[in-house]
Amino acid sequence: MKQLKIAIALVLLGGVLTTAAFFMAFYTAEVQTFGTVTLDKTVDTAFGIAPQELQPPQGQGVAYERPWFSQKIFYFHVPVAEASFLVLIIAAVFSVIFLIKRRAADDTKARVAMETALIFVILTMITGVLWTRASWGVWWEWEPRLTTYFIMMLMMIAYFVLRNSIEEDERRGVYAAVFAVLAAVNAPISFLITRIIPSNHPVVFKSGMASSNLLPFIIGQLGMLALGYGIYVARMSEERLRERVELAKEALEG
Amino acid sequence: MAASESSARISGWRQFKAILHKDIVMELRTKEMLTSMGLYALLVLVVYYIALSQAGQNFQVRQIAAGLLWLVFIFTSLLGLNRSLVHEKDQGCLDALLISPIDRPVIFFGKAVGNLIFLVIVEVFIVPLFYFIFLGGQSQAETGGPIWMITLALLVGSLGIAGVGTLLATMSVNTNGKDFILAVLFIPIMFPLLLTVVAATSAVLLADPGYATVFWKMMAAASGYDAIMLLAAYGLYEFVLGA
Repeated sequence: MKQLKIAIALVLLGGVLTTAAFFMAFYTAEVQTFGTVTLDKTVDTAFGIAPQELQPPQGQGVAYERPWFSQKIFYFHVPVAEASFLVLIIAAVFSVIFLIKRRAADDTKARVAMETALIFVILTMITGVLWTRASWGVWWEWEPRLTTYFIMMLMMIAYFVLRNSIEEDERRGVYAAVFAVLAAVNAPISFLITRIIPSNHPVVFKSGMASSNLLPFIIGQLGMLALGYGIYVARMSEERLRERVELAKEALEG
Repeated sequence: MAASESSARISGWRQFKAILHKDIVMELRTKEMLTSMGLYALLVLVVYYIALSQAGQNFQVRQIAAGLLWLVFIFTSLLGLNRSLVHEKDQGCLDALLISPIDRPVIFFGKAVGNLIFLVIVEVFIVPLFYFIFLGGQSQAETGGPIWMITLALLVGSLGIAGVGTLLATMSVNTNGKDFILAVLFIPIMFPLLLTVVAATSAVLLADPGYATVFWKMMAAASGYDAIMLLAAYGLYEFVLGA
């Protein structure tokens, strides 16, 4: 039961930190006036909030202040997206460990990590789609980052489809682990693609950030990692309990 | 390893030839793979005709021809890969291969090269056919880029399809969903490769100014992905066979 307490503590910590980051984003963070995207006046009114026209800096076209939505979602969308990449890599690492050592516990760890990663990926997709609507005026665009990320999500769904279609434990573990390794190849591709190919998706950390923006971001990122680890620990303790129940059942029937 | 021991063992190259020979002989006797893949590819072309039949006079098929062409090969290879490994499994051949003193990587190369050969044969028939049906009768029949460029793109794409497809098909035949599972695993994993080879093929077909730059850029990306994925498939095949 100690594990469940840790999990609850971590989830609470993650919740507090992400909430704190959310409020800081509104009250202490500077409004970023010039993003990496050239804003279109007609586009940025998706949720009924018109962007304000600003004095353009020398040598640049008309600039608009980003409306609150496309600005503030950054403190949620980016931490959860980065956490999703990290957790997917962790799932692949557990998969490799399982392939080498063949312990059922590692397979369970890989699966639970993959579940957590999929939760994060779906959250990233939801916030991302809202952001593209607010900032680009469309719900979806086949753009390098969005496309590779979408494919990554499909691979993670395929991972669970694959698992569900195999009955033998050993074989299920091995096949899923092999597929997880193949899928993890896509994580660095998706992460780096905006830095390689010209893409509409902003790369915030290349253009630099004010410290008042960076602080809530870091807090949000830490909160998201705590939340992810909390979900992972909670699911793992659930799996262990389930195994104990199974063993107890067998013992009673035996 | 002692010299006497290594001479007693059959070399990897001969093992590889034996597996390939088995696949080709079986195909020559049954003609099952090629007829099913070829017929399926023809049917896909017919479906394309239905899809394009109402497109109107001004519509240029050439603009989307590369994508259509690769779609044929995706569907056909999904069918072929599944068949190729279902044979192995249903007739107990895969088990026999595992019992025999053959190195696991050799099994991978034997099966992958066999699948590659069948896919290439289908391509040799379908590409000219596709050209005459969909691109031949156009009023502005541009010539496009050189044919060897298209051939190169086809080869790089087929290499990845056959290699990674062999690994995924070996997995999918041992599941409940067989061909469905293969599609679910295959299409996302192959996505970056397909996107780049379609872009490369399209660049050559359209032959816009500066198409060679686009072509080589896309081919570099496709080859890089091929290399990573084939290495991964080669390394992981042993685990899949062992399970």
